Amino acid sequence: MKKVISYIALTVLGFCFLMPFIIMVLGSLKDVEYAQLDPLFWIPDEPTLKNYKYILSDGLFLRWIWNSVVITIIPVLSQMLFCAILGYIFAKKHFIGREFIFWVFMGVIMIPQQLLIIPKYIMFSDFGWINTYWALIVPEIWGIMGVFLVRQFLQGIPNDLEEAAYIDGANDLQVFFKIILPLSIPVVATVGTFSFISNWNDLFQPLIYLTQETMFPVTLGLASILGKEGNFGIEMAGSAVSFIPTFLIFLFFQRFFTEGIQMSGLK
Amino acid sequence: MKKEWKKNAIVYIVLIPILIHFVIFQVYPFLLSFYLTFMDWKVIGDAEFVGLKHWKYLFSDTLAWKAIWNTVKFSLYYIIPTMALGLILALIINSGVRGAKFFKGVFFLPVVTSFVIIAGIWGWLFRGSEEGMINYIIGFVGIEPQLFLSDSSQALAVLAGLSVFKVAGSTMIYYFAGLQSIDRQLYEAARIDGASPIKIFWNVTFPLLKPIHFYVAITTTIGSFQIFDSAYLLTGGGPNYATTTIVYYLYSQGFTSLNLSYAAVLSYVLFFIILIISLVQRRYLGKESNHY
Repeated sequence: MKKVISYIALTVLGFCFLMPFIIMVLGSLKDVEYAQLDPLFWIPDEPTLKNYKYILSDGLFLRWIWNSVVITIIPVLSQMLFCAILGYIFAKKHFIGREFIFWVFMGVIMIPQQLLIIPKYIMFSDFGWINTYWALIVPEIWGIMGVFLVRQFLQGIPNDLEEAAYIDGANDLQVFFKIILPLSIPVVATVGTFSFISNWNDLFQPLIYLTQETMFPVTLGLASILGKEGNFGIEMAGSAVSFIPTFLIFLFFQRFFTEGIQMSGLK
Repeated sequence: MKKEWKKNAIVYIVLIPILIHFVIFQVYPFLLSFYLTFMDWKVIGDAEFVGLKHWKYLFSDTLAWKAIWNTVKFSLYYIIPTMALGLILALIINSGVRGAKFFKGVFFLPVVTSFVIIAGIWGWLFRGSEEGMINYIIGFVGIEPQLFLSDSSQALAVLAGLSVFKVAGSTMIYYFAGLQSIDRQLYEAARIDGASPIKIFWNVTFPLLKPIHFYVAITTTIGSFQIFDSAYLLTGGGPNYATTTIVYYLYSQGFTSLNLSYAAVLSYVLFFIILIISLVQRRYLGKESNHY
């Protein structure tokens, strides 16, 4: 009986959660103006790839995708490297000021990013960073949350391996790259997936730092065609194309999201 | 002392550039923001010291108070449904059904999806005309078509609904972890005592999840005070400022009206609210860990 209820709930809720994505895919295959939209849950009468062709032949949309790739890939890679190194340092090295610096880092987590956006806007205007990639890449090259995750992970690992390596005459770099980094792959992958999702999906910062359409990432570009286009099919095709990278990352790294959430939470 | 420096040379080589970066992009903007609240910052020319002018204005600015009130209302619409839905999803996933792993992925999918994509679809579902899908569905049970996003009494709730949908999957993960850590023997004992599944839930499962309820409540509250994307995408703060949240108001003051100093004051209001919530969390969770 309990099982039956579970299965019914699972089907109903599963359908509700998937429905927006189904609407997105079906909608993208339909050539229809907003005004003519049918409220029924609909299968397109004549599925067409017209919207995808329109989106992909539009140089601007491809440019948005490219911008998103640039402002996502660089922070993802550098976050993985820097958070691994810093997480290692804070977990295993003993140096003057370690506790103090880490305490300051943790305090800064409480500052909402929205507070920093106004002074950063002024700073970036002075630097000449408005409408450039710099504004979105340089501040994101490492992150406190990532350092915290790696540190948590490495604290749970005994020091024996490292000590053995040091006795065998290995230096710090060798210990890090040959022992710590391979061990940390799961948590470093977690840092990378989180960084990917937050950079790829970010709307607020690009909205502030970018005014030129050619510099927009795909989120901001999509937001600019939302409603304006008047064609639901084109909006949905754009959404679907911008969703593909997220979806692929999600499929391959799903485990790391859930592990990361659990690790960042109740410790 | 000299030995310490030498031994940890590599640590300092890495740490010093990172600390400089940290000061430039986190500490300095934080202090600059505070300084800005006492200045009239003009896009061209020098900043002028105006003292408490912007802080004083805050207290007479009815729109700022409306934005704070809207944000509180948003939290009320959002926190409990997110927690309840997250818990329900976790209970289902944890009940040993087949395909649980697949559905866990399905429920988590909105968490990783951009607000822009979901808002595009949500806006269509909640179109305020008879062609809107939700209006079509409620038409079957005889409810009149609603205006939803164009109705100032409904728009905020519709936006909260979008956030519940988007975030419930991550709440589910916390609850799922909590459910898995509950000792199975407790359930056995309760069952032997003849307790019904509902009684077991309310007397065993629910109270044992207390630390998770608290943690999730705090994080969703903090999240709800930072809500912006959906209001920007779907309502532009309207109708009649009904969806102007703190961050949306901060954005429109700073970057539409170019009132950067006043926007900095508003960002400090947000900071103080979040600080208080975080301190409550620290204090409570500190106590909690003493008890167990």
